[in-house]
Formats: sequence, C-alpha cells, structure tokens
Amino acid sequence: MKGLVSLFIGVFGTFAFSWVGLTVIPNLQIGALNPQMDEEGTDIYPAPKSGMADRGRRIYAANGCIYCHSQQIRPDYASSDIDRVRDAGPSPRPKWAERRSAPRDYIFDRPVVLGQERMGPDVANMGKAAPTEEEKPATAPAASANSPAPGQSPPANASAPKPGTSGSPATSPAPPAGSPPGPPGAAANPSPAASASPNPTGIPPAYSAAWHHRHLYSPRSMSLDNRDSTMPAYKFLYEKHPISGERSADALQLEGRDAPPAGWEIVPTYEAKCLVAYLMSLDQSHPLKEVKTAAGAAPPAGSPPAAPAGSAAPAQPKQ
Amino acid sequence: MTPAADIPLKEPTVSAAAGDAEQLERARIDASTRVPVLMFYASAMVWLLIGTLLAGFVSFKLHSPDWLSDVSFLTWGRLRPVHMNVMIYGWASMAAMGTAIWLMARLCRTTLRHPLLIVTGIWFWNIGVLIGVIGILMGYSTGYDWLEFPPYAALVLFVAYALIVSWAVMMFRFRRGDQIYITQWYLLGAFLWFPWLYAAAQAMLFIVPVQGVMQAAVGWWYANNLLFLWFGAIALGTAYYMIPKVIGRPVYSYHLATIGFWTYALFSSWTGMQRLVDGPFPAWMITASIAATILTIIPVATVGLNHHMTMQGYFPVMRYSPTLRFTVFGAMSYTVFSVVGILISLRSTARYLHFSEASIAYSHIGLYAFFTMIMFGSMYYIVPRLVGREWRYATLIKLHFWASAYGVGLMSLMLLVGGLTQGADQDDTSMTFIESVASVLPYLRGRTVAALLLTVSHFIFAFHFGLMLFGLGRTSTVPTFLNPVEAEGGEPHL
Repeated sequence: MKGLVSLFIGVFGTFAFSWVGLTVIPNLQIGALNPQMDEEGTDIYPAPKSGMADRGRRIYAANGCIYCHSQQIRPDYASSDIDRVRDAGPSPRPKWAERRSAPRDYIFDRPVVLGQERMGPDVANMGKAAPTEEEKPATAPAASANSPAPGQSPPANASAPKPGTSGSPATSPAPPAGSPPGPPGAAANPSPAASASPNPTGIPPAYSAAWHHRHLYSPRSMSLDNRDSTMPAYKFLYEKHPISGERSADALQLEGRDAPPAGWEIVPTYEAKCLVAYLMSLDQSHPLKEVKTAAGAAPPAGSPPAAPAGSAAPAQPKQ
Repeated sequence: MTPAADIPLKEPTVSAAAGDAEQLERARIDASTRVPVLMFYASAMVWLLIGTLLAGFVSFKLHSPDWLSDVSFLTWGRLRPVHMNVMIYGWASMAAMGTAIWLMARLCRTTLRHPLLIVTGIWFWNIGVLIGVIGILMGYSTGYDWLEFPPYAALVLFVAYALIVSWAVMMFRFRRGDQIYITQWYLLGAFLWFPWLYAAAQAMLFIVPVQGVMQAAVGWWYANNLLFLWFGAIALGTAYYMIPKVIGRPVYSYHLATIGFWTYALFSSWTGMQRLVDGPFPAWMITASIAATILTIIPVATVGLNHHMTMQGYFPVMRYSPTLRFTVFGAMSYTVFSVVGILISLRSTARYLHFSEASIAYSHIGLYAFFTMIMFGSMYYIVPRLVGREWRYATLIKLHFWASAYGVGLMSLMLLVGGLTQGADQDDTSMTFIESVASVLPYLRGRTVAALLLTVSHFIFAFHFGLMLFGLGRTSTVPTFLNPVEAEGGEPHL
C-alpha cells in the first residue's frame, strides 16, 4: 500500500541524507590529504610512524588510553589549550601545543585516537615535550630519518606477542636485535636518559622514555603533586626478572613500594616499548600552511597547499 | 474527515471493550511471540547484570585506580569499553528487539512466523556479544567508540540480526488492516536504520578505511545515530504504544505524531559531529551538527506535547500502573536528554564541557533515563502477557523504580556538575592540570554511590523477572498495581 512505500522512501531518504552529508561529502573534502612539503620536496610533514610506534598506537587504543587522553588541540578562540603548560618538566614547562590540530596532522593514523575526555592531559605533542639535551636525535622518530612505511608494519593485533615471546628483547641489552619491525629509534632511549639524570630523587627527566616507563608502571610515584592522578598502573606491560649478571640497560629505576626485591629487576615488555615509542613520536609542532601558529612564527610562505585545505583554519578560505 | 478520525488506534480503543474473539486472537499472537521475546528478555537481563557490575567496577576504579589494576584484562581501559558494549549490544539492543518484535506482532495483528529462526538469531547475537567482549578483554579493542568489538564479532552480530529482523519486517506483509500506527513507523525505521548504520560504519572503518580524522567523524556519526535512530526510535515507538494503551485513550494528535516522527528522523540523524566541536575538522560539519542538535527541540516539543495531551487528566494512573510510571519517566527524560544535548554542544558551553565528564552524563541520560526506563516499562507490560502470571510483589516494582530513578538522577547530576567544575578548571591556565582532576574526584565518588543504587535496582528487577520466568508470579486476572486501587477504579488493562 501507498503508506508503506512512502514510509520506506522517507526512512531510507533521511538515512541517506545524513550519511552523504556527514560522511561522504566531508570525505571528499578532507579524506585524501597529502603530506605537506616545501618547493624542493623536502621537509615533509607528517611522516608515517615507525613500526614500533605504529604498533604502540594499537596498544594505546586497546588499553583504553583514548578514554582519558585527547589528542587534539582546539583553537585559541575556543579554548585555552594552547596556553596550557604541562604539569611536569623543567621551567619553563613545555606547552601543550603551539597551534591547533588540523586534519592533515592525522593522515597516517589508523585508528585515529582523537579522544573525547580529559581525565588526563592532552598528549598530541607528548613527544615534543621530551627533554632536548644530548639525546635529542634519538627522541625524534617522527623526523625524516625513519623510513618504514606503515604498510610494512606487522598486523599488530593479529600477532601481539604474549609476555613469553618478549623475554628475549627484555633480557638482551640491545632490544632492537630481537625486534622484527623497523629501526626503533626510541627504544634505545632509556639508558642515556636514565644515566644522564642528575636528579637526586631518582626520577628520570620528565617525558623522557625512562620517565614514561616509570609513569606507566607507577603513575602516582612521580611527584608529590600527582597523588591525585587517576591513571591506572600498567604493570602488566612490565616483567619481573632475576638479574643475571649485569642489570639490564632498560630496567626501571624504582624505589620504595614499587622497587623489586634485591636481585630482581623490572623490565618493559616489547609492548611497553612500542607504547612509549608511540608516545614519544607524538608531535604536531611542525607548522602547517593552513593553520596559524601561536608563537607568531609565520607559516612558511609558498605555493597554495597541494591538496584542498581542511578549511579548519580560523581564517576560512573562500570556497 | 477530522484528524481524530484518522487516528488508527484500533488496538488501544478496542481493548477497552474487548470482545471474546479479539481476546482470543491477541492471546494467539502473544503465544506466537512467547519463546523469542522471553529469550530476548532473559538474555538482556543477564547482560544487564554483567554490565551493571562492570559499571560499578569502572566507576570505582576511576577514583581508586590501584584496585585490581595489575591484571591486563581487569585494567580500567579495557573494562570501560566492555561495560559500554555489553550495555549497548547486550542489554539495550536485545531488550529493544524483544519489545519491538512483540509490538510488531500485536500491531500487525498477525502471529510471528518462524520463531525458531529468531531463536537461532538470538543465540548468534549472544555469541557475537560474547566474542566481542572476550576480544576487548584480550586487548583487541578497535579503539572506536561504541565499535570496540573486533570486526569478526560484528560479523556474527550481523548474521544474527539478519535472522532476527527479516521476519520481524516480514510481519508487515502479513498485517491485517490498512492503517499503520505511529509505533510501527518508529519500529520499521529502527529495524532498517540499524543495519544500514552498522554496515556503513563497519565498511568505512574496517573494510575500506577512510583516512585520518574521517574515522573519528564516521565513529561519532555512527554512535550518535545509533543512540537516536535505533535506541531512541524504539523507545519513542514503545512510548507511543504504552501510554495510550494503559490509560485506554487514543493519542492526542496524529498530525503531531507525524511531524514528530519526520523531524526526529531528519534532525537527529544529522547530529554527531558536535561531539568533535572545535576539533580538527571543517567547521561546517560541526556547525551543521550543532544546528541539528538545536533543531531536535522540534521533535522533542511535538512528541512531548502529544504525550502530555494524551496523558492530560490521567496522570493519577501513574500511581497504579508500573508500565505507565516507567514509560512516562522515560518520555520526560527524552526532553531532558535533548536539552542537555543542546547545552553541551553549543560552542560557548562546549569550551568548558567538551572534554569533561558531562558527555558521560549525556550518554547515560539518553541510554538509561530515556531508553532503558521505557524498556523496563514495556517489560512490566509484556512479560505477564507471555507467561500468564502477574508480577508478584508491588513493593519490588516500587523499589526498582525509585532506585533506578534516583540512581540515574544522582549520576547525571554528579557528572554534569563535576564535569562543569572539571572543565572550568581546565580552562583556567593558572591551575595545574592535576587540580582539575582533583576537583572532579568527589563527584566521581558520588557517581559510584549512584552506581550502587542502580546495581540494587537491577538485581531486584532480575529477581522479580526470574520469578515470572519460572512461573512463580501471581495467578490472577487483575494486574499488579503499585498501590491498592480504590474499589470502583481499576482499569482492567493496566
């Protein structure tokens, strides 16, 4: 009967209207962005993440980090995100961001983990907050140095190593030897960072790899201020080993209640290393042509963007 | 023809003076739905209890993070998505399908054919949810909100859904009478919208994944539409049946109902992007969704007015009828849900509320205060008609209602006020971030109290439902009233 047909058409029509309007058309607009580069074709941003960091993102998503940490910086007219500084770190404290986030920042992310809540701070620029002293080269895995394309990274979820398999990288002082995917720049980090620490409290420099490991292992041990932190401890990403011969280079520096008994050490599993490599790779500080940078640094002059701009910039381009 | 003559309310009006033939026919239709609908309800109850316990864990662990945190599958970040997905796909979807199939059979005035296929579908659905839950606990969550189940679990759910709903939709073909009641509009819409939504989201996230931030847009488009076009549509359709039915009076205006339905379908399906306000997206997407959210006030007003005018003069019936009390509570919460939705989407308030606990309050008002309460109401109506017994204890129903009402009220209040505090502190850059966390902690503890209330409420209901299921209800021709009905009162069909 007629009523049923028109009902069906209406039901289908409203659905199709919404589907086309909110997913298909935006996908035409921002669904095929390319990395930005200057005229010489260098200085490419963003770059795909290394194999370890890419896998770290899956660990980040699977363990629910996404429910408390956002990875998106709102513009200065809509929030104070850009004015906010981190709670830890040397003075002046690292800022959350220099500019708002744009669609182009995420083109290699899968899954994209924008987040929805901030029980914990935004981590869009977590890697940028890492200490900048000698170990700077090692802490910039997002720079041009890293080669592996995301396609080469293993299907992380399908073959996540169980604790048993991660024994080899954990006990060996040279973790990259036992790890299948690409050159994991950040994994070499714990040792220099830990040894370079002049800190009498034993807490590694804020936002270094060693700091992240300790923070993941025991979030409320980092300073007196963060007793209120509601972050769960991710102790299941770490393993307790008897020390055989020499102490592992990447063993965690712990004291008090968290410290292992004498003769034992706590070492990160491969998953923990991936997660930290991912956190340290988070960096949206590179200027984008379509976004105004807060520090007044003018966006690099040049030709108009190769791909259609996200039009997310405060100054909207004419259609 | 006056508008009133258009109102195809055969069911509610006839029932007031039901003839023997009508009674027999209805009993036959109810009998054909007995096994599948009771199975839906029984599965939904089990998932509800699991989800409730998980909610308690999740709520408690959020302010006491060291409790049971050293085991990978008990970590907060895995239990939270399990809780959400158990509630969405285990409890809410199964209760919704049970009620919708029963309503469909009644309104099409036809028996349910092939109940065994539906029973098979229910088994598949349960297995799908179980696989998904295990997947998340093992660490294979996809990381997209409300779609955390690994794709293979979604495939099982899809097969199950096809088995279940194809026959529910086929009932339309065998329906008797020309007119389509407004409830059937909502139900048919929901039956078709859900698979389209689910397929579109799965395709765009896992089969042919879209690039970068578009994944988040597709995710929120799905989540919000699931809330409105699946749960919301079934809840509104149920309310349109239960309220007139219980008070024995036709819906006030059929035209209002039509306007309400189409504006609902049109505007609520365009919401979603407001959950990404000021994020890395073209501004027009978000603005369109904010505008759509504001426009949802039109269906809210028409539906609310319609229910209100139908109820006019009959509000005292809520003193007696459990179904009416739960359903009216849910229908009123629909207004609250919409208003809160508008408040947290406006750019001026989103500055403070966007990344706060307030968005959790919004989801709970929608899924619990609005949807779940209406489902409870429909179960109080439908289950006695399937098992041939009446609810045993009026006191337990009252306890269930008040524990649920106060529980969800307290939770919403805690999360909204706590969220505002948290968001305001985060906006104030003179405060450290951890101070914003400290400021919301008391409210999170309050929320745990609310979770306890809801746990009590659900266990009471599950116990009562269990009695009914095992034939331990009252044998009586008079339904269970919440309060003793005065001698002459007593509508027989409450």
